[in-house]
Amino acid sequence: MNITSQMSHALVVFVSAIFTQNILLSYFLGLCPFIGVSREVKTSFGLGLAVIFVMTSTCLLNWVAYQVVLEPLGLHFFRFIMFIIIIAAFVQFVEMVIERYSPSLYQRLGIFLPLITVNCAILGASLFMVIRDYSFVATVGYGLGSGIGWFLAIMAMAGIRQRLTNERIPRGLQGPGITLIIAGLMALAFIGFTGVLQGN
Amino acid sequence: MKESPDMQRLKALLRSSALVAGGFMGSDPRSFIEVIDADLAELRRLGYTNDQLAQRMQQITKLAIPGLGSRARIDDSKEARVQEAKGSLVCPWPHQRYYAKRITTVRDVGSAERIRWSDLNTHLTGQHGFFGGKGSMFRVEPREVVRTIFHV
Amino acid sequence: MFLAIVIAVAVVSSIGAGLAAVLVVSEHFFANYGPCSITINNEREFTANGGKDLLSTLTTEKIFIPSACGGRGTCGLCKLKVLEGAGPLLPTEEPYLEQDERESNVRLACQVKVRNDLRIEIPQELLAVREYTCKCTDITNLTHDMKQFRLELVEPKSIDYIPGQYVQLLTPAYEKSSEEVYRAYSISSDPADKGVIELIIRLVPGGICTTYCFEYLKVGDEVKVNGPYGDFRLSDTYAPVVFIAGGSGMAPIKCMLHHMKNTGNTRKTVYYFGANEPWELCLVDLMRKFEKELPDFRFVPVVCELKDSAVQACEVGLVTEAVSRDLENAEECEAYLCGSPGMIDAAIAVLKELGTADDRIFYDKFE
Repeated sequence: MNITSQMSHALVVFVSAIFTQNILLSYFLGLCPFIGVSREVKTSFGLGLAVIFVMTSTCLLNWVAYQVVLEPLGLHFFRFIMFIIIIAAFVQFVEMVIERYSPSLYQRLGIFLPLITVNCAILGASLFMVIRDYSFVATVGYGLGSGIGWFLAIMAMAGIRQRLTNERIPRGLQGPGITLIIAGLMALAFIGFTGVLQGN
Repeated sequence: MKESPDMQRLKALLRSSALVAGGFMGSDPRSFIEVIDADLAELRRLGYTNDQLAQRMQQITKLAIPGLGSRARIDDSKEARVQEAKGSLVCPWPHQRYYAKRITTVRDVGSAERIRWSDLNTHLTGQHGFFGGKGSMFRVEPREVVRTIFHV
Repeated sequence: MFLAIVIAVAVVSSIGAGLAAVLVVSEHFFANYGPCSITINNEREFTANGGKDLLSTLTTEKIFIPSACGGRGTCGLCKLKVLEGAGPLLPTEEPYLEQDERESNVRLACQVKVRNDLRIEIPQELLAVREYTCKCTDITNLTHDMKQFRLELVEPKSIDYIPGQYVQLLTPAYEKSSEEVYRAYSISSDPADKGVIELIIRLVPGGICTTYCFEYLKVGDEVKVNGPYGDFRLSDTYAPVVFIAGGSGMAPIKCMLHHMKNTGNTRKTVYYFGANEPWELCLVDLMRKFEKELPDFRFVPVVCELKDSAVQACEVGLVTEAVSRDLENAEECEAYLCGSPGMIDAAIAVLKELGTADDRIFYDKFE
């Protein structure tokens, strides 16, 4: 593949990761923090940013680890363990660096970093990029796109839930119940994007 | 479902005695969410919302403040006094709200029944629907408070 | 087959070990802030291990900054100037700092982390603050909900304070409270006796410290306090003095009266003390004694209702009503108020109406 076609492929992957194959609303990955932390727009914003950052960086790291180490040695089956270890180590490292050099950013993102270390969406994105055999550039697009997709979804959810705080919701549906129903409706809405893109 | 850090902190804070002696939950074994649900349900049966309740509590406190710690007449059936102490009370919910240590005691003149609440109680009732766990020092019993403050 | 297993295990382990090594090295590199030197007021300098917050670092150095919440960033009291090395203002500090404070580098000591060398400014009087170990030698009931606690200093043996100042009492963890807290109480004792402090404490329902003092503290127990703090004090003028207090607001006024007697102060003084019921008045005998000992002092107890007029000679009504009825020379007076915020606000309104200027009204609000 030449550079231009690689770039356009990456762009398609990027856009589809946001809309047509949103990791949260199409694959339902990363639901725990999506339901647990989406009560306020402000905290959702911080968590969303942290997810974008971690997802993009770990996808890249894992791509390198997979292509350079695991694939040549024929150790594909170790990818689950490897990816998790790399994600955990990376998040720890980033947390340390942010705390040292940017206390105000640490205040905003730091508390969410450990929370998303073990998030299935992060691992899922890395695994998908392997299964789909993305190139390096496409992986950048995929990681970034998935992160932004997740960010969009949790921001939308937080916006809706903030408006719901003063509504009278049937007792049995309060909290996670109504949130799951909303998530389902949002997923239905996102199906509307299907067919916008072709060839991914 | 995993709980968010805010939620875990809130749960721990309500049980601990970091903010008020004995903690907010008292000896209540239920989770605070169950406490809130049960109290709000009881309040609905009594025909009031927690908003109305908090507004009325606030109103009585306001009427009693000019008494400077002595009993002030609220209406024909009840009197109230407000006592203040140095310092402030922090809402355990993660939004950094502070309330003066101001305690309102309402006495029904006829039955001599007394109930009391702090400014923090008013906030917890109105904003969070939280009345305190059974056995906590500042539990506001919905049935008692409704009977005392709404009935003339 | 065997080789494949060995290779696989070796590869995964070495990657894991490599990552762990990277983390350990970077932890050493990033999270170790090393010894940091802290310079106070350009005079004193000390070295502390970095990583903790400034407030607790100062506390280990026996420098006590008043803080009601114990470093949780919820009271906004531990303000001090950090001239160098504090880093950007944190979102947790923003709600407590005014614009002019931000411009002059005021920060919350409990939120600023010691990560590098710091230059800070602490008001001189706070540097005089020390921690005192005391022994509780007497507990007197004043009213149904007020007690006076006598604390004899053990180490250090004496304290210098200005009448009107307060100390912070350390409440240890006990049955109803899982952590140590500090609460502020005005000193009520005779300042001539430097080996003793007395505190007047009113029971706050559900209060962590007052519950401890009322139900758990016994004569003979060890108590820790630090102080003195506060700028509520008698001025040096000759203007007539009006004291207005309620409840445990008695404490600093009593201390000031002792001081006036000790120094032969001749200022014309009147003291309005408010209570609900006659039996809630306290220390009346002592006040009557002051009336005899001080050249020009008058004590006016005020109660809301007086059912049995034979009990005591007092005014009836709210303390503010008594002031507006009774006080004649309000324009020339200096007023010293201590009590609940409601009482102080009401008293200020009355005094202003009577003609006392703003800058002549001093108060120690319960906040």
